[in-house]
Amino acid sequence: MSKIILYDCSPEVTHMVNNLFGEKVAIQNSSFDDQRPLQEFSMVIVETGSKKPEQLLQEIKALRYACNFRNIPIIVMKKKSDTYPKHPYIMAGATEILSLQAPPLACRQILQGYLIPNRQPLDQEMEYLTPFINSTKHVLKTMASINAEYKELYFPSDFRIFGDVSGIIGLSGKTEGTAVITFYWDLARKVISQMMRVTEDQINAEFIHDGVGELINMISGFSKKSFIGKPYHFELSIPTVVLGSGHQIGHPEEASIALVIFDVGESSFALQVCLKPKTKKGNN
Amino acid sequence: MKVIVVDDSLVMRKIIVNVVESLGYEGVHATNGQNLLEILEQCGDEVRLVLLDWNMPGINGIEALETMQRNSRFRAIPVFMVSTESEDVKVEEALAAGAKGYLSKPFTPEELATKIKDILG
Repeated sequence: MSKIILYDCSPEVTHMVNNLFGEKVAIQNSSFDDQRPLQEFSMVIVETGSKKPEQLLQEIKALRYACNFRNIPIIVMKKKSDTYPKHPYIMAGATEILSLQAPPLACRQILQGYLIPNRQPLDQEMEYLTPFINSTKHVLKTMASINAEYKELYFPSDFRIFGDVSGIIGLSGKTEGTAVITFYWDLARKVISQMMRVTEDQINAEFIHDGVGELINMISGFSKKSFIGKPYHFELSIPTVVLGSGHQIGHPEEASIALVIFDVGESSFALQVCLKPKTKKGNN
Repeated sequence: MKVIVVDDSLVMRKIIVNVVESLGYEGVHATNGQNLLEILEQCGDEVRLVLLDWNMPGINGIEALETMQRNSRFRAIPVFMVSTESEDVKVEEALAAGAKGYLSKPFTPEELATKIKDILG
């Protein structure tokens, strides 16, 4: 059964959500807690209510971090009279802004849409994702003595990624695409410090910036060997790095983007892979 | 004696230089092929080994290696490739261009140390 958590929601919102879903989902009320892992929940609902927008924006950011890259929708319920714009909530990590006065049928359809389970990857998608997954584990283990545990993958519809630092590498040749590794700052510092065999307090932003780029370079390079003679074979470009939560990564058009989540202890990091083999008719 | 570590990644250079210095050599940083050639012009006679990445902006590793091979002053300096490129065809290309050995990333410091000791005796 899907579980939905409502943070600091009024009786009105709780009643509305209960009415929309009935016994089909388990609904839990809680006061805001940014330390609570959210992996067990299928949806998070917050309400603009009595909180100042700035406070709610900070809470949404914290909740998005607590999702640990999982595909968990964060829904903001607001009164129709609330004229604060939607955009800042979306930028902070919210998935949808719903009006409390919206027709219940429309609300139900929208929310139920977010509860549809992620699709499973096709065999042909796993053909190119498996080498990247294995390569990621191998690179982290070899370079930093870190055991990265593959947890899940999904195909996000939202290109924004809510981590702190992403290493990006363009892939070209028989196929075109991108590979992106995204970390929260603390885990990035731990990984780079173990790569360099120094203590974490010796790691500055420049090392993290550079090291995350080198990681995606090694992961892609090691994966590449698996694609010799296959349509997914590619050449590597020079990696780049992007900082800041909610950054958006450009990918080739009409290609599926897989987001793979790895756990390292209590933290997680994400690997995005987008590969699109060129067709004979295409831009070869 | 100097070992030049050529890599556009600062973190990777530091990892490799740590290994080089643990073996008693002086590690010298070079950020790309152009930088390597400039350093060689200044102190090529003191250089025992070049550890060379492949994919770098500007003059890449293979281009730098080929330039060294064309220069009688630098031709005798052993070059060891340390690169993310790990396919056999790439290794063969590097060896054909004059590299004395090849180590694919990722690697452990122990693996790199063994390779350096093998080549420098």
